[in-house]
Amino acid sequence: MPGVIRRIPAGLVSAVVALLIWQVVGSVGPLAGDSFATASEAIVALFGLLGDSQFWLAVFETLQMAIIGFALSMIIAVPLGLLIGLSRFSYRSTKFTFDFFKVIPPIVLIPIAILVIGPSIAMGVALAVFANVFAVAIQTAYGVRDADPTLLETMRCYRMNVLQQIRYARLPSAAAQIAVATRLAATASLIVAVVAGLVGGAPGLGRLLALYQSAGTADRTYAVVLTLGILGLVTSRLIVRVQRRAVFWSGR
Amino acid sequence: MRRIGKWLLAILIGGWLPVLLVTWWWNASADSTDPFFPPLQAIWEQFQFNWIWQFWGVHVMPTLQNLIVGFLIAVVIAIPLGVVVGSSRATASYVEPVVDFIRSIPPVALVPIFILLLGLDSSMRIASIAFAASFPILLNTIEGVRATNVVLLDTASVFRLTRSQVLWRVRLPNALPTVFAGLQVGFQIAFIVAIASEILGSGFGLGAFTLIATDSFMILDAWTGVMLLGILGYVLNLVFDVVERISLRWYYGQKKLA
Repeated sequence: MPGVIRRIPAGLVSAVVALLIWQVVGSVGPLAGDSFATASEAIVALFGLLGDSQFWLAVFETLQMAIIGFALSMIIAVPLGLLIGLSRFSYRSTKFTFDFFKVIPPIVLIPIAILVIGPSIAMGVALAVFANVFAVAIQTAYGVRDADPTLLETMRCYRMNVLQQIRYARLPSAAAQIAVATRLAATASLIVAVVAGLVGGAPGLGRLLALYQSAGTADRTYAVVLTLGILGLVTSRLIVRVQRRAVFWSGR
Repeated sequence: MRRIGKWLLAILIGGWLPVLLVTWWWNASADSTDPFFPPLQAIWEQFQFNWIWQFWGVHVMPTLQNLIVGFLIAVVIAIPLGVVVGSSRATASYVEPVVDFIRSIPPVALVPIFILLLGLDSSMRIASIAFAASFPILLNTIEGVRATNVVLLDTASVFRLTRSQVLWRVRLPNALPTVFAGLQVGFQIAFIVAIASEILGSGFGLGAFTLIATDSFMILDAWTGVMLLGILGYVLNLVFDVVERISLRWYYGQKKLA
């Protein structure tokens, strides 16, 4: 509890100081001018956007892409990872391929996605799925393989079937890994949803950001970037909180 | 001999799936008339023509150059800053929330800010890359330096090590694995931002080439661009892994002993 009390003021103080520095840097010196928005301008613009239905539509569209993409990746990747992880052969034969696709950033695929899918909600969802499926599947498979061998032997002795082994040994062991993968996937989905809009022209905050930038309205551009930071922070905090309850046995 | 056999087996087990996938793609697309999915053979021929003969110098080199310069700037700024901040618990608790917030912004979303400030040329690209890549490096350096084992620090003070000795002999080596993790994330971000800055700040570079090809319906060129970007993404990551393995050999050895 004392940790909490000590942390809030530090965060507040640092936020205020950062805003002040931002304000000063933007008002005097080489950065002052139309191409740079000060903290106060950005915050005023943000409040202005809060009354704009176009802005809320963009927030909604971005979240829609991120959430659907995230949910789809989980629905595909977790069972897939479970299956792969059940046998040593399947784990080792898919590892290289999955690792290969895992490190390829989804932004690379945007040009092809524009052609095949077109700049739409579906494109954002597809990119989010591509961004997450391989990482989550491989992480799940790793967790499944990591199950306690003594426990598995014991279950075999008691002639528990494969389903029971999955339920009582494999899944609990994989849960910690799945939890880590979920956290990464949630933030990644949000990022990809924004990038799909910004770079690929899909609807949402990304496209709004590109619009304000090309119109040269610095204050609104900064306001959208601030919104994205807040959304990102809220998402990662929320996920941590949900997970503490859901995966209570893994000691996180 | 047995080791070679083991290696061969590992390559066989890991390799049959990618070979199967490529073969399937090659055959399935062989007489494809779908404009968006040209035959893989045609893509491959165009790939060789584009990247070996024509555009390597014009489009690939600038991308790599910006990527490396931007990343190095991020390293040179973020690591010393992280060491300074991380050495004091109080400073760290004030700096971290702000750094944490900036890191929560999708890195690519920072590019428009730099376009407004610096226009569309290379300086904008390098600045975006350097800025975006420095935050994971900074956070991990702070974390790594701060989380030095207390027993080690106590031992160091019993032996009356000076402040600089503690820094160079104890804190920095201990922070290295965490710093490296930050460098890896930073490099991945640098790569993504490099591509994004080219697409948004149109003109030259591999990202720009690929998007222009898409917009002008030069499907083969678009596919070769996507492929080269994918391969680059993979290979750069691999290079990074190898460098990490080599420079952290002592650390992995230590972990094995423990």
